[in-house]
Amino acid sequence: MNNTSNLNPAIYAKRKRVNKIGLTLSMGAMVLGMVFLFWILGVLFFKGFSALDLSLFTASTPAPGSEGGGLANAIVGSLLLVGTCTLISTPVGVLAGLYLSEYGDRSRVASVTRFVTDIMLSAPSIVIGLFVYAFVVAQVRHFSGWAGTIALALIAIPVVVRTTENMLRLVPGSLREAAYALGTPKWKVAFMVTLRAAQSGVITGVLLALARVSGETAPLLFTALNNQFFSTNMNAPMANLPVVIFQFAMSPYDNWVNLAWGGALLITFAVLGLNILARVVFREKVQA
Amino acid sequence: MSDKHLSSQFDADLNSLSSRLLEMGGLVESQISTAMRAFTQMDIDTCNIVIENEKLVNDLEIQIDLACTELIARRQPTARDLRLVMAVSKAITNLERAGDEAERVAKRTKRLIESGAPHNINVAEIRLSGQMAINLLRRSLDAFARLDTTAAAEVVAEDRQIDEEFRGFVRKLITYMSEDPHIISVGLDMLTIAKAIERIGDHSKNIAEFVIYVAKGADVRHIPHEDLVREANKP
Amino acid sequence: MMSNMKTMFDLNKIDSQGGGVETNQQTEHASINALEVRNLNFYYGSFQGLKDINLDIEQGKVTAFIGPSGCGKSTLLRTLNRMYDLYPGQRAEGEINFYGQNILTPSQDLNLLRSRIGMVFQKPTPFPMSIYENIAFGVRLYEKLSRSEMDERVEWALNKAALWNEAKDKLSQSGLSLSGGQQQRLCIARGVAVKPSVILLDEPTSALDPISTGKIEELINELKHEYTIAIVTHNMQQAARVSDYTAYMYLGSLIEYGKTDEIFIKPQRKETEDYITGRFG
Repeated sequence: MNNTSNLNPAIYAKRKRVNKIGLTLSMGAMVLGMVFLFWILGVLFFKGFSALDLSLFTASTPAPGSEGGGLANAIVGSLLLVGTCTLISTPVGVLAGLYLSEYGDRSRVASVTRFVTDIMLSAPSIVIGLFVYAFVVAQVRHFSGWAGTIALALIAIPVVVRTTENMLRLVPGSLREAAYALGTPKWKVAFMVTLRAAQSGVITGVLLALARVSGETAPLLFTALNNQFFSTNMNAPMANLPVVIFQFAMSPYDNWVNLAWGGALLITFAVLGLNILARVVFREKVQA
Repeated sequence: MSDKHLSSQFDADLNSLSSRLLEMGGLVESQISTAMRAFTQMDIDTCNIVIENEKLVNDLEIQIDLACTELIARRQPTARDLRLVMAVSKAITNLERAGDEAERVAKRTKRLIESGAPHNINVAEIRLSGQMAINLLRRSLDAFARLDTTAAAEVVAEDRQIDEEFRGFVRKLITYMSEDPHIISVGLDMLTIAKAIERIGDHSKNIAEFVIYVAKGADVRHIPHEDLVREANKP
Repeated sequence: MMSNMKTMFDLNKIDSQGGGVETNQQTEHASINALEVRNLNFYYGSFQGLKDINLDIEQGKVTAFIGPSGCGKSTLLRTLNRMYDLYPGQRAEGEINFYGQNILTPSQDLNLLRSRIGMVFQKPTPFPMSIYENIAFGVRLYEKLSRSEMDERVEWALNKAALWNEAKDKLSQSGLSLSGGQQQRLCIARGVAVKPSVILLDEPTSALDPISTGKIEELINELKHEYTIAIVTHNMQQAARVSDYTAYMYLGSLIEYGKTDEIFIKPQRKETEDYITGRFG
């Protein structure tokens, strides 16, 4: 027995070199990504900060040419739109995901559903907006918050379905078998055991879908449109942040542009907040 | 499936156990031989050889018993391996006692020589049964080495002959001693020697019974002879 | 132990201890089989996993299935509670009589069957609920109990699984907060709580350390008085320690079945002896 190894110094040196190159490249890529991320956040913060005051939350959008104003109606409108969208898309998405994972492993209906879901996931949101315009708005001949909700739901549901199904599939088969072994009927196994085991993942999926639809603009252009005034009537056009930003950003009025930056900042922080919340929820449950 | 364990060390340990048993058996066999020679030739030096070597037999018993215990602790043997270890552990007890009997023969012979008393006792039976005992022991160990149950059953049967010889000698001895009370002390020594030989035959019989236990799994101690033969001849 | 059997099932016959052969006959006469497997063949698609199995599982005893990997012992265990039904492409032919009733018929209510024949798996799988809920879950499926009755049942089940003392102060904590050995005992408590007749154990201690294993073996020893237990194990010494009867299987066939003592001291078949002594070519 001796202490020397069979190490070939040339090979080892080459390995070290390659390692170093690889590390440098990855760090470089990361820095590049971070640079742009922080740049965007920085600009947003810088430009939008000046708009952050109480009136942002209390005053409605100002008429063209008038001074001051805020984003109260847009904020409330967005909350209403996204909120109702969540109320619709969560049960539909979760149940569909549950079906796909627990009941529909081999059936034709299931594979078709998955296919359609995948397509919808990558469908351009403007197309969805047009669709809802043609089938809802044009039928009743007016824009409405409900139409906006429907459009957002059509975007959110595929996301929820996908993540729910994936999270449910991650639940080990042994847990299901343990439930079956007690004589549990299938639907109870699915709802009370499997879904419960995956609940943090499913919630995360819902939060991520929310984050996605909070910033969608194109579908709302054709459905909820916008509303200058404060309103909570879902049957009428509903103010919302993305469209307001769209309108105000390219306008000649200074206060409008300012408000647009403020809105952008708000949305960004909301999405950021939802993502962080999703992570926290997931990590907590996983550690339990 | 072969006869070898997955663990070659286990195979080696079991084989070592068997061969050490046979080694001890060989030693005991030579002790009995030497003791019988001492008796036939009435030679005191030969007696002393047997008495000295008795220690070796005892040492072997302790060593082999330890090896059996270690094997059980380490391997948790089952089925035929278990039966083999159990049989070896018991057989060495029988061998050790047979060794004691050989020593007893040597010691009594020595006493006979030292007392120097003349006698006219015919010791042909003792010599004969001594030969038979040595032969029986050799055959029982041979049967153990080959796990030959038929040979083992024969050993069990032939132990009876040694018992017969012993009983015959006792009857003769009683006649001698009642005729001439002076030779009673010599006669008693002779009786002890004859009894020792008879016991050696019993120990060989026990070893043969263990052969059947290892090979067939049947405990044939204390059962009628026909049943023993039947168990021995089962496939 | 034999006198236990007689008092349980045959109060009218007071038998004296006879010789070897007679005692066996008397025991057979007094014993009841919880499960009788007849001509069982099992297929994974086109592959035959079990070949013509005939076997009795005696009530109130522990029966162990041993054999090398792939011999079909887990497959056999999982036919006893029709677990394979969850997976299309797996099918069984033949008969399995559970107290006289064939459970392989298509009309058999599977959920009811599984409440009578419970199973504990190799990997401990507590439900993502509190310890209390874990146990109450199964009970609620088939019984309506008041809060206090359920409390009693939970305590009873945890006591049976030798877990009450360790768990009584944290009943509302998640089942996942227990250690591996405790989780497995929780799964056993869960299975026992619904009061099945038979408990199937599929390598229950493979994933556990020696002390947890020992505790569960002790548990099996106590449970067997009231339940019929069938256990699959790849640890032969465990089979020797806990079971009354042992079945040796190889490549889907039942090679030998008998009393554990006999199998481990004097097996009838060379294949069995080769396996348990560790002789493989």
